[in-house]
Amino acid sequence: MKAPLWRAFLRLFAVQGAWSYERMLGIGMGYSALPLLEELRRTDPVAYRAAVARQSDFFNSQPYLAGLALGAATRAEYQGVPGHKIARLRTALCGPLGALGDQLFWTGLLPLLMSVALLFTAAGWPLIGVIVFLVMFNGIRVAVEWWGLHRGWRTGLSVGMVVQRSWMSTAVAWIGPAAAFAVGVAVPVTGAWLVRTVAPSLALGTIGMAGLALVATRVDPRMTALRFVLVGTVLVFLWLGVRA
Amino acid sequence: MIEATPVLLAGLFVWATVVGLDLVSLPQVMASRPLVAGTVTGIIVGDVQFGVAAGAVLELFAMESLAIGAARYPDYGAATVAAVLTGAGRPPVEALGAAVVLGLLLAGLGGWSLSRLRHVNATAVRRRTASLASGDPVAVRAIHFSSLGRDVIRSSALGALALAAALTVRQMPSLPEAGHMGLSVLVLGGALAGGVSGAVRSGRGTRMRWLGAGGVLGLIITAVMA
Repeated sequence: MKAPLWRAFLRLFAVQGAWSYERMLGIGMGYSALPLLEELRRTDPVAYRAAVARQSDFFNSQPYLAGLALGAATRAEYQGVPGHKIARLRTALCGPLGALGDQLFWTGLLPLLMSVALLFTAAGWPLIGVIVFLVMFNGIRVAVEWWGLHRGWRTGLSVGMVVQRSWMSTAVAWIGPAAAFAVGVAVPVTGAWLVRTVAPSLALGTIGMAGLALVATRVDPRMTALRFVLVGTVLVFLWLGVRA
Repeated sequence: MIEATPVLLAGLFVWATVVGLDLVSLPQVMASRPLVAGTVTGIIVGDVQFGVAAGAVLELFAMESLAIGAARYPDYGAATVAAVLTGAGRPPVEALGAAVVLGLLLAGLGGWSLSRLRHVNATAVRRRTASLASGDPVAVRAIHFSSLGRDVIRSSALGALALAAALTVRQMPSLPEAGHMGLSVLVLGGALAGGVSGAVRSGRGTRMRWLGAGGVLGLIITAVMA
């Protein structure tokens, strides 16, 4: 079963390729499941069609952890588990894999490693920073993706226990604070480097503007820094027009 | 001054398409992150310093939004390529403000285009509901590849538009000194707020204490380096 697992693993890199508001990752999961269901196609074509339909149905989770659900649900297709139970398993995994994956990658590893890259940049080694970021992020991502698919495939229906007892909860507990600490260090250091690069005389103005933008984003949750700058740009051009 | 030759523009167009595709569809290796996209664009256009600076500023903005699931978030890939092309070969103090503002506009447009793509993909899925319900693997493959194809079209169209916008802004007369100083202060201040705001929005309690501790250390490092 090594070759189909590898093919499914490679397909997981495009698991969000058909992301839609209708089935979210569902089609990508179905496409990734096809190599794993190949054996079923030969032995039981009717069960195969039912499995393809189930695996392509609605699914949503953090994409790098989707392999865990994919492995478990396709394995269950071979274990004679009733279809409605497999569908329930997929639905039940959406929440935990989404929450754990988001905290692990999107609010943990990504800001942590990006902050490290920004610190390298501010220290004058931007290329090293970018390379360290890409190698570490993708190294961990690929390892987790492979672990998830493999573990899911080995455990099938009892994958819930794997999620509960895995290293993920521990990792989430420390990576969040580590990411927050790294962002805390990186923002002022990067800001100071940027001001030095652009014009040191702008330091005080930049600090004041950052404070103003921060207050604006806290007062109105819809006001992001991006929107703040776009509104500010209009005001700058109006001011220039008045001056002219 | 950087000369925008056809070969250079072709290279940037391919790179902008690649980073557009990388955001969600394939292979999501984080090439679309502004610091990565900006540094590589800087290497392509021959102004690494500006590429890194514009990439770092846009990265701080990008740290504010989480590229999670159904949330609508800006697409900074092609936007960063355009920002670097806009200001490459010019002093950062003159070029950074306008370049980043153009990048932010394009990032917003990219986010909107991604949302539209997802609606179009949903329509394609609805059209094949019966085939999918019968477990037809051909239908699954067809929807998957046509959706990927649509994202290639979206990313390349966004890339072409971004490059056209960058070339247009490059041709415009330079702002007066007060204008580019004002824009620089605005984008740098906004970027710092974006970086902090993203961390504040994604956690409470312990996380906030660690953010504060990191901030203190960051300020000490900044003071020592000054």
